[in-house]
Amino acid sequence: MSAAVAHRCLEPGQSIIVATVDANGQPATCRGIALDSRDDLQTLTVFLPVATSHETISNLAVTKRLAVAATHPITNAATQLKGTTIEARLATEEERVFVRGRLDAFAQMLLAFGVPPRLAHSLRHWPSFAVTMRVEQIFEQTPGPNAGKRIQ
Amino acid sequence: MSLRLSDLRRAFQGLVPSIVATSDVQGTPNVTYVSQVYFVDETHVALSCQFFNKTRRNLDENPAAAAEVIDPVTLQAYRLRLKFLRSEKSGPLFETMSLRIDAIASHTGMTGVFRLIAADVFEVLSVQMVDGFLTETVDDPGENMSVDGARTEMRGLQVVSERINRASDLESLLASVLESLEEFFKFSHTSILLWDDANRRLTTMASRGYGKSGIGAEVALGEGLIGTVAREHRLLRLSSLDADLRYGRAIRREAASARKLEEEIPLPGLPDAQSVLMIPLIVGDRLVGVIAAEDRDPMRFNEWHEAYLEIIGNQIALGIDRMIDRGDESADAGQPEASTSRPAPESVNARCRAKRRLTYYRNDDAIFVDDEYLIRNIPARILWKVRGESQRTGRTEFSNREMRVDSSLGLPPVKDNLESRLILLRHRLQEKCPDLKIVSTGRGKFALRSDASLELMER
Repeated sequence: MSAAVAHRCLEPGQSIIVATVDANGQPATCRGIALDSRDDLQTLTVFLPVATSHETISNLAVTKRLAVAATHPITNAATQLKGTTIEARLATEEERVFVRGRLDAFAQMLLAFGVPPRLAHSLRHWPSFAVTMRVEQIFEQTPGPNAGKRIQ
Repeated sequence: MSLRLSDLRRAFQGLVPSIVATSDVQGTPNVTYVSQVYFVDETHVALSCQFFNKTRRNLDENPAAAAEVIDPVTLQAYRLRLKFLRSEKSGPLFETMSLRIDAIASHTGMTGVFRLIAADVFEVLSVQMVDGFLTETVDDPGENMSVDGARTEMRGLQVVSERINRASDLESLLASVLESLEEFFKFSHTSILLWDDANRRLTTMASRGYGKSGIGAEVALGEGLIGTVAREHRLLRLSSLDADLRYGRAIRREAASARKLEEEIPLPGLPDAQSVLMIPLIVGDRLVGVIAAEDRDPMRFNEWHEAYLEIIGNQIALGIDRMIDRGDESADAGQPEASTSRPAPESVNARCRAKRRLTYYRNDDAIFVDDEYLIRNIPARILWKVRGESQRTGRTEFSNREMRVDSSLGLPPVKDNLESRLILLRHRLQEKCPDLKIVSTGRGKFALRSDASLELMER
């Protein structure tokens, strides 16, 4: 059950948000486009648009601490993963199709709220940074009494 | 600050969830969605604290926070740098934020579980547009309150006042109010519910724009959106009903195993309403009723409507109250009509007429027609009285006065709303038993007309 809750963050169509913090304790936030993990969530890679993630990348260079939350837009089922950044690089052309596919899936979700696909696709997604963190904690974040409960 | 917070008002309506980032003292960040960032003034915003969660604990350790809000029309994002100042657990800001949450909680059967603990107030240190967030910009239609619009709506206020003053009876007053709201404000799905002190419920007395009138539908005080507005005597505008209800339902699913929850109250009216505006009708501190407007457009109702309709709501409340008082006076001035009534032509062509069975269930205080619910409480007792009298004596005409002096009907001694009860009865008969009619025969008088052969049963 915990594994299923943890892994739902990798499903297409999720809304992805991240937080970082600078050396003075000032948090910053940014929206992500896609999440990927090739090692059963030992590590997690989040794709962030270069255009909107300057502050996030600057903070990571100094503090390395990263929080990523993935939320299903319709059910509000949400998971938050926290950890330490081990790599931040420009996403490759090979990864572009994957990132675009995740944006398409998110746009499909937004269609359910009446957001036209053209508008949803105007969210800038490329070029992207690929930021990989070592996952140290995973939390249930669906609104309700279990929100904040650690699941891994 | 290059941008003013008030320039971003649309982003604070809660149509697109906002992001809030905080950090503990060890420097571990936390990120979460919040359903709404509330605009307080040009340098302050507030967040609702509904659970003692990580965001709340982080703020106690480190007051620095960041938020990202999105304009629902252009999808442009804006980032706010925030400093947590204080938690408010009472006062106007708390009450305004609490009303919205209480209404959603009640509507989703989550009263007591889904509630506002505090309004967390932040100073806004900076606000910035997120450059490069979109690949193409969407034209901003600007504020939808033009000078022409203002003129139209000022004219609307004038016309509503005139129509209220001219209305000859309560039914025409209610109908003209809803007609004016459509004519001048383009509110095409509206209803008016009046408060009944005798059974402590609101009853739908008029509606416009719905397939089924819903007249007679009742809402208890504190139940759902309408009941919450009635209980709190405060106007409620929701611009993101769908998102709010999904959020409430998500909590309900999570909480369902923890305790038994009330059944969800179906939203009266549009099944796919995206925005609602509920205006309490108040005279002094006394509740008269509620006007409910709904729309499929999530941005249909704006702040201008809120302020403006509060004024109109006061006019309407006074008009309805005056009409109810007039109903009291007219009935007292009239004479009982018993001696002048003619026998009902009930036996004429009786064999050719439809047969209807009216059953009064005493324990439920309700009348069913051919096994279908018709009406209950005082209007049911009125119908049972006049129908029984008609069957026994042949009388078909009755006066309001004789209803008032009959203590078995249970009408309150003052402000008995008899006229509204007769309107309700007439509409319910029209919908469920059109062969039986209540018709007005003059001031303070009414008649019972029947085109059906009626069988009366009491259980």
